[in-house]
Amino acid sequence: MISALCLDDTQFKQIVSNSVSSVFHTMLNLSIEMRGVSALDCDGAPVDFVPLTSTGEMLVVGNVGIVGRLTGMVYLYMTQSFATRIAARMLGMTEAEVEEDELINDVIGELSNMVVGQFKNQLDERGYACRLTIPSILRGSNFVVEPVRSAERQVFYFKCGDDNIAYDILMKAGE
Amino acid sequence: MKLLTVDDSKTVRIIVRKAFKQYDLTILEASNGVEGLAIAAKENPDLILLDVTMPVMDGVEMLTKIKSNPELKSIPIIMLTAEGGRDTVLKIAKIGVRDYMVKPFKEEILIDKVGRILDLRLSSEQASVRRTILDELQILLVEDKPAIVQQVREGLARTPWKIHDSTNTWTAIDYALNNPVDLFLVSLSLPDETSFELFQVIRTNRKTKSVPVFGMVVKTDVNRFNRAQQAGFSAIITKPLEMEELEAKIARAVDLDMAPRYYSLQPDYLVVRFPEKPTGIDLSEIAENLTRKLGETVDSGLSQVILDLKAVQRLEVGVIKQLMHITQCCRDLSLHYALVGNPGVKEQGKGFEETSGWEFHDSIEAAESVLKN
Repeated sequence: MISALCLDDTQFKQIVSNSVSSVFHTMLNLSIEMRGVSALDCDGAPVDFVPLTSTGEMLVVGNVGIVGRLTGMVYLYMTQSFATRIAARMLGMTEAEVEEDELINDVIGELSNMVVGQFKNQLDERGYACRLTIPSILRGSNFVVEPVRSAERQVFYFKCGDDNIAYDILMKAGE
Repeated sequence: MKLLTVDDSKTVRIIVRKAFKQYDLTILEASNGVEGLAIAAKENPDLILLDVTMPVMDGVEMLTKIKSNPELKSIPIIMLTAEGGRDTVLKIAKIGVRDYMVKPFKEEILIDKVGRILDLRLSSEQASVRRTILDELQILLVEDKPAIVQQVREGLARTPWKIHDSTNTWTAIDYALNNPVDLFLVSLSLPDETSFELFQVIRTNRKTKSVPVFGMVVKTDVNRFNRAQQAGFSAIITKPLEMEELEAKIARAVDLDMAPRYYSLQPDYLVVRFPEKPTGIDLSEIAENLTRKLGETVDSGLSQVILDLKAVQRLEVGVIKQLMHITQCCRDLSLHYALVGNPGVKEQGKGFEETSGWEFHDSIEAAESVLKN
């Protein structure tokens, strides 16, 4: 549970789940389900961070900031190959046509923008007015995102067919 | 007509371009408010799709500047935003937008919203492509009786058409709004007369208003038959169903070119193919398309026609009459022809005065070889 929000675990999980599934269903016509939530150690790292890939494949991570009554960052992790498939599907192109990193970055950035937008809208309905920052993309195969002490963190795992996504949210009370 | 998309996301700009590809609409693009203003001033678009969150100049600022410019203020604007919160919506509504869309959005919803503002027309390239009997159609069958559903599926099995079935009008409406439908086949005996309500929904929805709607009714149900006629159903099919007739009516309603089922123009000759059990409708379609297809043959510089009866089970009188007509037309146009048949057809041919002298070859290759010599 994020203590900055007056929401229990179930409600918060539902908000996160709705935001991801609505975007995947609407824009990609893909079914995606929440698989679980990671516990965190005392340093705020996920205890059982389920690897998104067993092959050490590069990850593409869309991230969007939230500013307002709540302040935080949301990271959407996926493998490079899944990001390519998503980009092809969203743009109605073949995977060969979307091989450019720039185009994939744009798609994942926009996807992240929509997912966090849906998340933000649901919080807005509950009285937590926020704004979004513009999205950005991280790429790499061996990096860790660590929160500052005052931020709370939860990592949710989703399964979409044979692919996995991690939804990593860091948040604290804002304005 | 021109549509200007102002969004920093190339993804959204591509999605919009793709959504309107089949329409007669010029798509202009800008990646921020500054570019958007410049293009709007230069091109005077008929509609602007405007994202809210953008770098350099955001959508709200661009919207404010557009509304304060006498030259541009009348251009209708649809705002796009991932932030559908109350404050955002109120803010942009105050400045004056025609509509707004929260991302994510379905392509069909975007087209629908734009279609309410602009008179969207298919591009001439799209409009002139006529579908054929070999193309896939999406038919939505609204019928609560499994036996009828099965009968329709089996009866139309020889076509490449996809039959989607729904047992009630609610799931039918939901399907139709989210999927392409080329023809509705609706049972008029659904409970509480909901089939007529469904018809009204179909006819008032921009997406489906021009799609043919067939009603199915028991032959003796005169009241529903008359009611459907008055309501304006495209056709009324009586039960028990005559599947051959239904297939032909569907093909006519969707304006399918039936010729490819029977005619194929090869590099060196025209093939006229008779089906296994030629029906009256088959023979009628062959006759209707004969002049056009022989004309195409001549225009292609070809002079050979092969009449393929390899699949025919019985050489009936109707087929013989059709063959005589075709061969006469070929002679009139100085086209050489040859016939292909199976052993059964050859044997049956000997029994008719008109065909006793005809030579049926075993294969198209054999017929082609004879024609070449």
